[in-house]
Amino acid sequence: MDKPAMDKTTIDNQTVDNKIVEVLARRAGLDKALAQFPDDVAAAVAQAAGAVQKIKVPADPRAEPWPPMRAGDGL
Amino acid sequence: MSDLHWMSAAAAAKAIAARDLSPVELMAALLARIEQLDPKLNTFIRLDGEAAMAAARTAEAEVAAGRLRGPLHGVPVGIKDIIDVAGLPTTCHSKILQDNIATSDAVCVSKLRGAGAIVLGKLSTHEFAIGGPSHDLPWPPARNPWNTDHHPGGSSSGSGSGVAAGLFPMALGSDTGGSVRNPASCCGIVGLKPTYGLVSRRGVFPLSFTLDHVGPMTRTVADNALMLKVLAGHDPADPGSAAPPRGGYAEGLERSMLGLRVGFVRHFHEVDQPADPEVTAALEHVARTLQLEGAEVRDIHLPTLGEFAAVNRVILQSEAWAIHGPWLRERPGDYGQLARRRLMGGAFFAAGDYVQAQRRRLEMIAAVEEALRDVDVLLCASSMDPACRIDIPADIERTYPRQARTPFNVTGHPALAMMAGVSASGLPLSVQFVGRNFAEATLFQVARGWERAAGTDKKHPAIV
Repeated sequence: MDKPAMDKTTIDNQTVDNKIVEVLARRAGLDKALAQFPDDVAAAVAQAAGAVQKIKVPADPRAEPWPPMRAGDGL
Repeated sequence: MSDLHWMSAAAAAKAIAARDLSPVELMAALLARIEQLDPKLNTFIRLDGEAAMAAARTAEAEVAAGRLRGPLHGVPVGIKDIIDVAGLPTTCHSKILQDNIATSDAVCVSKLRGAGAIVLGKLSTHEFAIGGPSHDLPWPPARNPWNTDHHPGGSSSGSGSGVAAGLFPMALGSDTGGSVRNPASCCGIVGLKPTYGLVSRRGVFPLSFTLDHVGPMTRTVADNALMLKVLAGHDPADPGSAAPPRGGYAEGLERSMLGLRVGFVRHFHEVDQPADPEVTAALEHVARTLQLEGAEVRDIHLPTLGEFAAVNRVILQSEAWAIHGPWLRERPGDYGQLARRRLMGGAFFAAGDYVQAQRRRLEMIAAVEEALRDVDVLLCASSMDPACRIDIPADIERTYPRQARTPFNVTGHPALAMMAGVSASGLPLSVQFVGRNFAEATLFQVARGWERAAGTDKKHPAIV
């Protein structure tokens, strides 16, 4: 059964479950923000989820990131 | 001399060196203009007028003694308030750093001073170069001199507003997702995001280590090239610094565009984010003008703006979270709402999301490199709309992401935004040119060709 709409937040076409927002926020140590600015925390979660979905993951498993993973002078 | 406030940095430096203009006279004229206009524009967070006037007197004495420090001797400059100036606060326009006093100059400031420039003060920014325009911070947001009811762009808001209003001929900005080029676009000036690593970021408060750039903001292309020549160079203490090839930036400014190949990225503003019709018409006018000047213009395709923006967001917010996490956990109420929302996003990406974004980034760099094998310069939109009103949050929210600047933070290529015309409502329209890595000279050549043909350097806001 769907949860009531009040348990979810929709921002930028992303709907997030407020229970999940709470778990993620506490794991990130954002308890104060969650208590004082719950809408801002939910918006941040929704926007992050939206961005991740728009990235095309490289098909080639050997595709490296930028900047390259290289040792510096300190090693 | 009349209208000293519209004098270019190059013209001022030349007149000062020739003893036709006193640095004190120039400084006095600009301080008077600041006193008159800054209450309407909120350009400064901290004006350092007394120190600037003292430095102008020293510069005058040096000229009299036949000593010139460098190519910017006696020319005033404004500094975005995320960049350290010794003895002045670096607040990042935030309550979080309200009492943070810099103990030394950032490398870019030190280089400008070494060339003879005089620091006027610290300029408004979006909070931590990401959250703005905000009305819930210790200082008000800067306003657009073309119409003070409108946003001047950001995050280097005070830099764009002050240069356009004639408060100073040049300023420093920073650009992580377009923050030099957005105010340049909104305020009708010239803003350059140089090649990643060309200008040292040491002494600049970071937003995103692999996306941050420092760039010059001026009213003319020649001034931008002059500033870049002073700023560019390797800094072993900046891990992202590059060892750029030697060469000047201004030598080819007046060269013909005959034979230059320009790639027009039309899908950015026609398909990905359909632009305001006036912006579209202005971009077509720029392309036609470059053709008339002898350039060959052809269409180029790159990945979509939506995907560039997503890659930029994941990387930017992840890296910013590494910086702001401790403060966001302990003092979330000391941020303005916009910065708080944007910076907290980084808490909700997995490590794998960040790595995937960086892997996709390399493919995007390759796509732009491939395009720039066939052409010398890319032409595309900067902003899809003229500056919106500053007091309507919904308008800010709607227009802020409608831009084509983030792609070149992701790829690191040099990108310059400047005026493309003026809208029917009297606000600047903009265009962006993008070059090969470390080929800023070619970028300046094309930008100057457009400026020469259109006279964009002669167009100023009607503000008194």
